[in-house]
Amino acid sequence: MKPPPFAYHAPTHLDEALALLERYGDDAKVLAGGQSLMPLLNFRLSYPSALIDINRVAELSYLRQENGQVCIGALTRQRTIEFSELARRQLPLLHEATTLVGHLPIRTRGTIGGSLAHADPAAEYPTVALVLDAELVLQGPGGRRSIPAEEFFVSYLTTALAPNEIVTEIRFSPAPRTSGWAFEEVARRHGDFALVGVAGVIDTEGEQCRTARLAAAGAGPTPIRLRAAEDILVREGVTEQGIQRAAAKAAELVEPDSDIHASADFRRHLTEVLTRRAIQRARERGQEQRA
Amino acid sequence: MSSTEIGESVEELTPKFVGARVKRREDQRLLTGQGAYVDDHHPPGLLQAAFLRSPYAHARIARLDTSAALTRPGVVAVLTSKDLVPLVKPVRAASKMREYKETSFPPLAVEKVRYVGEALAVVIAESRYLAEDALEWINVEYDPLPTVANAPTAAQPDAPLLHDEAGSNILLSREFARGDVDAALASAAVRVRDRFRFRRHATVCMENRGCLADYPAGTGELTLRSATQCPGLLRDALADLLDMPEHRIRVVAADVGGGFGAKSSLYPEEIVLCAVARRLKRPVKWISDRQEDLKTSTQAWDEIVDAELGLQADGTIIGLRADVTTDIGAYSIYPWTATLEPIQTISFLSGPYRMPHYRGRNRGVATCKAPMGPYRGVGRPVTTFVLESLMDRAARLLALDPAELRLKNYIRADEFPYKTPAGLVWDQASLTECMQKARDVLDADTTTRWRAQARAAGRWVGIGFATYIELTGVGSAIPVSPGMPIATGTEAAFLRIDPAGTVTATFSVAPQGQGHETALAQVVADALGVAFDSVRVICGDTALAPQGTGTYASRSAVLAGGAAIRAGQTLKEKALKIAGHMMESNPANLDIRDGQVFLRDKPERGLPFRAVAKTAYAGLRRLPKDMEPGLEVTRFYDPFFGTASSATHVAVVEVDTETYAVTIKRYIVVEDCGRIINPLIVEGQVRGGVAQGIGAALYEEVVYDDAGQLLTGSLVDYLVPTASELLPIEVHHIETPSPTTLGGFRGMGEGGTIGAPAAIANAVSDALSHLGIEINEIPITPEKLFRLVRAAEGTP
Repeated sequence: MKPPPFAYHAPTHLDEALALLERYGDDAKVLAGGQSLMPLLNFRLSYPSALIDINRVAELSYLRQENGQVCIGALTRQRTIEFSELARRQLPLLHEATTLVGHLPIRTRGTIGGSLAHADPAAEYPTVALVLDAELVLQGPGGRRSIPAEEFFVSYLTTALAPNEIVTEIRFSPAPRTSGWAFEEVARRHGDFALVGVAGVIDTEGEQCRTARLAAAGAGPTPIRLRAAEDILVREGVTEQGIQRAAAKAAELVEPDSDIHASADFRRHLTEVLTRRAIQRARERGQEQRA
Repeated sequence: MSSTEIGESVEELTPKFVGARVKRREDQRLLTGQGAYVDDHHPPGLLQAAFLRSPYAHARIARLDTSAALTRPGVVAVLTSKDLVPLVKPVRAASKMREYKETSFPPLAVEKVRYVGEALAVVIAESRYLAEDALEWINVEYDPLPTVANAPTAAQPDAPLLHDEAGSNILLSREFARGDVDAALASAAVRVRDRFRFRRHATVCMENRGCLADYPAGTGELTLRSATQCPGLLRDALADLLDMPEHRIRVVAADVGGGFGAKSSLYPEEIVLCAVARRLKRPVKWISDRQEDLKTSTQAWDEIVDAELGLQADGTIIGLRADVTTDIGAYSIYPWTATLEPIQTISFLSGPYRMPHYRGRNRGVATCKAPMGPYRGVGRPVTTFVLESLMDRAARLLALDPAELRLKNYIRADEFPYKTPAGLVWDQASLTECMQKARDVLDADTTTRWRAQARAAGRWVGIGFATYIELTGVGSAIPVSPGMPIATGTEAAFLRIDPAGTVTATFSVAPQGQGHETALAQVVADALGVAFDSVRVICGDTALAPQGTGTYASRSAVLAGGAAIRAGQTLKEKALKIAGHMMESNPANLDIRDGQVFLRDKPERGLPFRAVAKTAYAGLRRLPKDMEPGLEVTRFYDPFFGTASSATHVAVVEVDTETYAVTIKRYIVVEDCGRIINPLIVEGQVRGGVAQGIGAALYEEVVYDDAGQLLTGSLVDYLVPTASELLPIEVHHIETPSPTTLGGFRGMGEGGTIGAPAAIANAVSDALSHLGIEINEIPITPEKLFRLVRAAEGTP
């Protein structure tokens, strides 16, 4: 389990990193926290001719409020987000999801940009980005562009990122103060990738549901936004029946695979259970917020 | 530990350290990163090895060309089986057992490969990186052969053959019987039966396997440092395979990070590295990575058991019959052979109960998987799971309390020694006491009320019991693996008291974390009457140790402990003779305590033990007439039959009614391992064993697909429980000294793993009893429960 030979570059500025990426094109891999890339290299499942280590690119590591948005530099560690007061207050769903990411050593190295660019559909961050309608800022030789999370995730481990681009920033618009949130997941063990996870942000008043945003992890080739389930909630409200029907719809919307840990059927079943639990808990939290 | 005043009777004076909660002296080193494992050794000129491993489960090697690899940077040598022919003899795990078919296990594949991960070639290079790079330049062409994917299909007469020389994939079949079980079951008032499945298990140690071989031309002595449980056994085997005198081979296993059985066999890599070091006259190291470890370390269990238990209407057991099929993987491993796990299943299946009629049959079937080897519990985890599950089903059918049904059928105190249907002898066990105490600790009435209330609230909660009895500290009467040609019935202790009075105790047993340095020092200190701190224990180095094999099969406390008592007594006797000479007293009136020799009837009169030790080396003029100088001795111990250990485990579980996650709410162990040397160590062993049993019950499963590809090749997919999945395990002791072993010790390293799968499975069955679900397969995963509940509820 030693990686194949590769050239190693450790630029200190984003421009430098982008120039290297342009030079190698498809042949280079960007190394951030390394929590997915290094195993792939050590298993010799990936043979890049160069690694561009962006860990020294300090300008990519920040967490700040800007024009009512929370902007997080791509190199920001999960552990930083876990302990960020700003993230906890403004993005409580992201904060809660962070505590479910792997184990302490993984969160200490793992970055938000790395997790999104790797695009494992069972990971927490892609689902959070999707449910919170985050914008990803990508930078390439031609400049910057920004892309909504929903367009970013293309398929399993595949994104809209061009080979010569780097994710530089993730922008979140905080949900209204009155909304509640929940990230519910089932994993075989603490810290494992979720068999299924469901993230929800809903804004309710009594049984009325003003807005609902729901997405599932581990239930398809990308994180899946559960729009038809959201519609049911808004239409029928957070009544027992509305919640039940939304959860049942969620199970229809997902496209899970079978593997040695869970069958597609079981993942569908879990999607229903976790959607219901996420809605209920988000609703309770929303009520607490208002109180 | 209460300190006893000098002057009390000798019986009260000893023991002093045995039984005390002495902190493990090795922990300072092991827990602060100061242990020295194989990979911590870096001799000058060190080379690294990387093995080319088969991606095919079964294939003929059509072409194997290493010439390009030899030209790669840093490569010193590339070897295949052809190169090994003049260097090593082939390995054959022999057994005298009838109906066992001996097969060959070449260190590097010859002509064909039989499982994914089997080594075909080795690259020796200046670094592991360069060695792995060069592996990609070895040219191999495989002609794939049909996969022998699982035991039931491999046992079919028309199945493709894995070993042509055997003529069948069934490498052994065996039957143990007593009475007329068919007639007994025909007359039974109640019969319970099922097909049980105990899935394949991997061994996950903190330290992967690894070894370092060195053969300096100057000395002509081969040193192998290996992460092994059995340095003595390896030394003897390597001498034969390499055709070297034993005294020219030194095997060292200093600090070893876990073994659990998987490090007790001789492995291809150990043989290859010795051969290479001898040829190159340079030290060579190989450290298994986690993927290699999961692919190539011996795997365990993997049984299908069809079992039926018959009882009278009052709950009295009358008979048990069982057919067991064990998937033994691709090769029969040295020295245990492929018979080890299969034979032990039918040996132990009759359990802790009076069993008038019994028949157990087993077939061991070869398949395209990593070889089967011992894992903590060997045979007993599955037999306990099967029998204890049948007991609970019988209790449900008879509307009896499951604990009462067990109490009714345990072998009674007056029936020991009890000969089992398979011919084992239980010297004594505290079955009833363990169960009664377990019920007390559980507070059975309160817990049953809690269960009723929780169920009324719609929760799925259950209580499960499991009792086992096992054979430990096995002596020469019953080899650890019957029929194998090596002796496992003896161990020795070599004690040296130096002139300053400090003691060096050297053993051929070799720990992988069990605390031998502490426990054996306690025994030696008591046997001699010296301070604990004045005894140093050395294990795991054949150049220092007396003849022996190593640490496995719950034997070290019994065998090494017994040898330590003998050696200590011998030296104490001699020391007292010298002291008597010095004090002009009758040695019979003297004793030693706290490093002080004293007169029993005048304890204030005495002299320091170190003065006696100094005198022992001072020459004939200072010694009693005809006494030989020195204070050193090696004593051997053979406990002959071995001794029984037993326990009752209780699990209280809750199953999530929607996600099917199983949460263990309480876990109780009441065990009897005889006289306890160190309760801290015993409790640590029990808890570690239960943790591994929880892994077996709920998480761990080696999965191969139909093409023989390993789907659990990393710790992302092979799930071992971590601290987050465990709970505080309540451990209680019944301490009944063994009537048959020196010191009264019984072995206890494996029991935790034996009881846990059964207790947890029974608790889950109890939690789901309203649905009529009976657990007959481990691990119990959420996926399996989801399917069982769906089937029970009639949902498609």
